[in-house]
Amino acid sequence: MTAPWSAACAAEIGADWLEQEIAPAGDFGRRAREREHVFVLGDEAQAREAIARVYAAAEDVPPETLAQLCEAVLACPDPGMALARVLGDATLTDADLFELSRFVDGLERVRNLMTNAALAGIAMPPWPQALALTLRDGRTPQRGFYLSDAFDPELSAARAAAVALHARFDAERTRLRERIAVYAGLEDVRDGEFVLMRERAPAPLPAEIRVLREAPTYWLCEVALDEPARTVFTLLNAAEQRVAEREEAVRARLSAAVRAVAPILEDAAEKLGAVDAFVARVRFAQRYRTCAPEVAEVPCVQFVDARFLPLERSLESRGHRYAPLSLTLDSVGVLTGPNMGGKTAALRTVGFVACCVALGVPVPAASARVSLFDDYAWIGIGTEAERTALLSSFGLEVTQLRDVLSRAPERALVLVDEFARTTSPREGRALLVALVEWLRATGVIALVATHFSRIAEDAGAPHFAVVGLREPPRRSTEAVDLDAAIERIAEVMDYRVHRVAADEPLHADALALAEVLGLDPALIARARAVL
Amino acid sequence: MHVGEALIAHARAIAKRSIVVVGTAKNVGKTVTVTAMAEALERRAEAFGLCSIGHDGESLDVLEGTAKPRVFLRAGAFFVTARALLPAHPATEILEMPGEDSALGPIVVARVRTAGFFEIAGPPSAAALRRMIQRLFAHGAVTVLVDGAIDRIAAVRSEDAIVIATGAASGATPQSAAREAQALSECLRLPVVDESRAALELDGALTASMVTQFLRAGERRQIVVRDATRIVAAGRSVAGVARGLDLRCERSLHAVACTVCPAAPSRSFEPREFLRTVAGAVRLPCYDVYAGAAA
Repeated sequence: MTAPWSAACAAEIGADWLEQEIAPAGDFGRRAREREHVFVLGDEAQAREAIARVYAAAEDVPPETLAQLCEAVLACPDPGMALARVLGDATLTDADLFELSRFVDGLERVRNLMTNAALAGIAMPPWPQALALTLRDGRTPQRGFYLSDAFDPELSAARAAAVALHARFDAERTRLRERIAVYAGLEDVRDGEFVLMRERAPAPLPAEIRVLREAPTYWLCEVALDEPARTVFTLLNAAEQRVAEREEAVRARLSAAVRAVAPILEDAAEKLGAVDAFVARVRFAQRYRTCAPEVAEVPCVQFVDARFLPLERSLESRGHRYAPLSLTLDSVGVLTGPNMGGKTAALRTVGFVACCVALGVPVPAASARVSLFDDYAWIGIGTEAERTALLSSFGLEVTQLRDVLSRAPERALVLVDEFARTTSPREGRALLVALVEWLRATGVIALVATHFSRIAEDAGAPHFAVVGLREPPRRSTEAVDLDAAIERIAEVMDYRVHRVAADEPLHADALALAEVLGLDPALIARARAVL
Repeated sequence: MHVGEALIAHARAIAKRSIVVVGTAKNVGKTVTVTAMAEALERRAEAFGLCSIGHDGESLDVLEGTAKPRVFLRAGAFFVTARALLPAHPATEILEMPGEDSALGPIVVARVRTAGFFEIAGPPSAAALRRMIQRLFAHGAVTVLVDGAIDRIAAVRSEDAIVIATGAASGATPQSAAREAQALSECLRLPVVDESRAALELDGALTASMVTQFLRAGERRQIVVRDATRIVAAGRSVAGVARGLDLRCERSLHAVACTVCPAAPSRSFEPREFLRTVAGAVRLPCYDVYAGAAA
């Protein structure tokens, strides 16, 4: 699957996380996923249909049925190697036939579950009726496989003859061993190599004993066949050969039966993969309270109460609550707000929601209206992996920006996280204004988070802001405990994003936050005086 | 006497259903010992399973030149082997492919439907071996025989009965071969820790260099390992060089008997003398499978 986002961007917007969450359970599904493509501009109808199917199944099919389906798909062995062998005119082994039997079993179970659950929207894998009937004779009570007599009356007869000769040969060997025991005065002689003490064996040794090795005080021997035993042995070998030939003939016949339905089996394996991939998406939709978004033709990312799930999961695991976000973005927006107010999380939420639609899954939001994009870009000081010793943070951002601009996609989603914050404020601000103007001119959907003031106004772009602190956070009189301080900030931080009116005064919460985080009060006081 | 019967009886006497044969070296008659027990179980018409620990280095059997010593099994026996080692003839009933791998590829659990020779191969890890033993029990085996390997002794558990196999291949003289068996036997029968006395508990394995350090330091405390598998490394029992130390274990293993093989590719010992020497050293019931003798 070729994605329209870079690895670094995927990490920022949670695309990696999402792909893991909707990863199919088994190899069939993984192969199906490799054949899929991310929905991009122009795929609106397909995306709409795919998401609607997933959403409908999430609404209709009980989770336990989906779990059973997953389990059933996983229980199907891959018939790929057996099919490759049989199509190359090779004869299948019993292990191949066992796997094909189990594949047919699994297929039947999947089909039954799909029928019972009335799972619509995904094609039912075909049923290789003829093969199922053919293999039936080989099924054993423990769901194993055996090249049974039922496959071939001649095999049955050959085996019966061989078994009778085995018994005769055993009797012959027992007769010889008993003779040796009497000769050597032994209670018993083992069937295989045995030690015979020289003192117990008066010369000459009888013909029933073959010496394998001589030692000073003993011989290492085995039973030597006499004429009657050799006759039975010859018959037994011939009978075994006959059984082997009949077994091979049955395998050849079964291989031909498999060859005849190979296209059906290949199709079934492919459809099992599609079922696996589909069920993974449906289970995701059930797990995370999702909605079916409107896949818009015009560029936009709009959502109500959307959640950036990787962060939500992380916060929940630490006992914190996640605040859902609402935003309407239909051009280039500028986002401001206090530190720790969730600007980056807002950017990620925009990317994540768009990514959900691109991957054909319902969106974790109350409602959403999202278009498809053919390029997703994240510009900001991101993962450490991208940094090099010779490239500063600003240098990295500039190269990211240069790459995005050079790609000139038809429709892009660009997320900019505090671009130019590490260069001189005057030039950085100028660059950012120019960037917003340029983005607006190219018609992309973008959200640009910044601490620079009046960027939206100067670039003529809509201005969004994190609401910020509802009240100053409580200050602790004791030594600063970082976790507790963060907790106090979270208690009074309003993470919601709102559209800023032209004359609306903006919060400046940096000093209050610095104070809660334990900065010297005298230093804070001096900063306030400077302000 | 039938040695296989006697070995099974020793395991039954301590209520063990899995019997692991551990050799002191290659070519000491492990597979012959396993076969003797299989024959005994066949005589009793008792369902049994056969497995091996990994692929213990006997990539070519010296006498037969086969990939592994083959075992003659009669209808009804369960066994674990690599898919690639399943013979085309006689056809076997394949019960499951449990998703485990051996050094030779995926493992299958099968049941013999027509008597014949079969190669046995098992998973390389201790945990996987335990799973395979459980699968054999689940399929109906009453007893499971494991063709073990001293290099993989970590796979042995307290629920197993252990049969030590030694032979002329294990030492240049009967005495040196007996010493090898004695060291392994003592190691496997390590006493359990005495809770009332000072002890130094080791998290991992006791290595030869640790033994040296303890001896130099005049360590008097009990040195406690989880079980004897933690003091066997690279096919050798470290306990053999730790006579001045008070080695203990948290849980004991159960060595029940020893078998001897007087013939090796390069030498042979006088069978009765060898059997007596080993019996005197290991202080376990000792048997010569080849001679059908006991000591």
